[in-house]
Amino acid sequence: MYHLQFILNGLIAGSVYALFAVGLTMTYGIFRFINFAHGELIAWGAYGLLWFSGPLLGLPLIWAALPAIALTICIALAADKLVYAPLRHQDRITLLIASIGLSFFLRSLLQLVFGAELMTYGREAGRGWEIAGLYVTGVQAGMGITAVAFLAGLYLLLTRTLLGKALRAVSDNMELAGIMGLPMHRVNRTVWLLSALFAAVGGMLLGLDTSLDPFMGLANLVKAFAAVLLGGAGNVWGALLGGLFIGITENLSVAFIDPGYKDFVAFAVIIAMLLFRPQGIFALTRGEVR
Amino acid sequence: MKHMLARMFGLLLALTLIASGAMAADAVTVGAITPLSGKLSVYGEGFQKAMLLALDAVNAEGGINGVPMAIKYEDNTSTAQGSVSAIQKLISVHKLPVIFGPAASTNFLAICPIAQQNKTILIGAESAASDISKCGDYVFRVFPSDLLQGRGVAELAKELGYGEVALTYVNNDWGVGLAEVFKDAYTQAGGKIVDELAHAEGRADYRSELLRLKRAKTKAVVNLTYIKEAATMLKQAYEIGIDTQWLMGSASKSPKMVELAGQAAEGVIGTYPTFSQQTPQYQAYQTAWKQKYPDQKLPVFGEYNYDMVLLTANALRLAKDNSVQAIRAALIEAAIGFTGATGDKTFDANGDVGATYGRWTVKDGKIGDYK
Repeated sequence: MYHLQFILNGLIAGSVYALFAVGLTMTYGIFRFINFAHGELIAWGAYGLLWFSGPLLGLPLIWAALPAIALTICIALAADKLVYAPLRHQDRITLLIASIGLSFFLRSLLQLVFGAELMTYGREAGRGWEIAGLYVTGVQAGMGITAVAFLAGLYLLLTRTLLGKALRAVSDNMELAGIMGLPMHRVNRTVWLLSALFAAVGGMLLGLDTSLDPFMGLANLVKAFAAVLLGGAGNVWGALLGGLFIGITENLSVAFIDPGYKDFVAFAVIIAMLLFRPQGIFALTRGEVR
Repeated sequence: MKHMLARMFGLLLALTLIASGAMAADAVTVGAITPLSGKLSVYGEGFQKAMLLALDAVNAEGGINGVPMAIKYEDNTSTAQGSVSAIQKLISVHKLPVIFGPAASTNFLAICPIAQQNKTILIGAESAASDISKCGDYVFRVFPSDLLQGRGVAELAKELGYGEVALTYVNNDWGVGLAEVFKDAYTQAGGKIVDELAHAEGRADYRSELLRLKRAKTKAVVNLTYIKEAATMLKQAYEIGIDTQWLMGSASKSPKMVELAGQAAEGVIGTYPTFSQQTPQYQAYQTAWKQKYPDQKLPVFGEYNYDMVLLTANALRLAKDNSVQAIRAALIEAAIGFTGATGDKTFDANGDVGATYGRWTVKDGKIGDYK
């Protein structure tokens, strides 16, 4: 039971990591660079909710989520238009460095607007439910359900719609997809929209569960990056499984190692994957990964 | 692909570490290394405001013998690396004789050998690690050493009748050092530590750590940690149904902690270095703060920063010349019998100050004295 509880906590934490990793890997799949500013989308989503539910509009949390998501998507689209699109034909390292610069900018802006203090949505802690000796809180259950719902939606989008097909085609081979006349602009926009949406939702869930600080994005970017590598960069389902794997192993590790070193798990995964299997564990199903 | 990703990882690592800074002429300038960005910026902004408040008071009284006093701030991005580059800049570029050291004992300990080697006076206002006493004769602090606090928590546990506890502490120099002192004192007094574990700083999710503490099934858990960590842990402990008496140190004693943790913070008991809030010195600090920052709560350890600046100003006024030697001698002299907002600041041979310890608790959403 003791270990089961760790696995359950890991599953829930992992499902949120998966939300982040899926967006990160999709942008990698299309644009071939790791978007370091992805973490800031997470933080802006969370702070957006605080902003719209608090001083700005005073909306109830659930309704404030919509403008917060819209804000995050606008940031991602603006970043694409103003920073990434003009650099698209440059070296990938250029894009990467631009994304680092952007992440500093967005994080500092956050600190400027909201300050460095910790914030919460003002939710009181409630006793969790005990089911067969396992504890789950309402927020945790909500996190799991929301993550599953969004990931299922993504699955349907990618497998059942023409747009999803186009997305997968572009991620397979951008030039070929362009030659075949796929609407590249639309595909690009969709990728940014989806990755911002998933980041914002994940950020809000994290904020609800714990608290907000301007550095929340960076911390979770590391986990998402590990998940992306584990799944094979660019592989959406790999990233999903990678997220769950990271969540479960790091939580389960506490039973055996000192929890002070819990983050070690994500870093160890990153280093091991880079050394031994940079194409990822789940890359077998794909023909070629660049 | 492999190299690309490896490079990306390298950059990510570098990012999670990194530093910056800028001012002053025709003034007596001292340096300050303050966490204005990074994870300690929660505290850093408050420290800076308290120092500026004291600076206003000094300059309103004519500065340093007619010359205004100024503080040159360097941000250390809350890291040891940032602190090292900040002190190197303050010493070699700005050539400042007195530097106010950074918060977090890890960062303070990283730079104290540099200050000692360069014969630069380093003063700490919130660094508690017991090892700082060994830094050398150019290092001072107006904040009491953990040696005192660790014993204080052990006494508290024994007095409340807890013969066995589980122990958790934040995984850095301060937390580990404090835990060591606590363990020694507690086990010597016949106490038993059932399980002990370190927890990482700044995490959002401590459920797994808490599960281990829950498993220890002790009536009390000693948790030596900071504000955010304490709040997150208390909240999540409440959610997973841990009913235990939490015993804490001074670093989590903050209205912010209670605000973040809500009802989960009720009943926590802790120790803290105390001083009377009825003294005219403390009242002056409080009034000045309310005047300058009307909407803001008094920051954690703000009064120590305030005292540090006032004491340094006294030393600078007293110093025969601008040499570090003269200022150091003046500092020791100025401190004898100096009573600030936080009480007597007379330095002992290690450059440490004494303290009395009080006990705090949370009741009805407010922090008060435990009786």
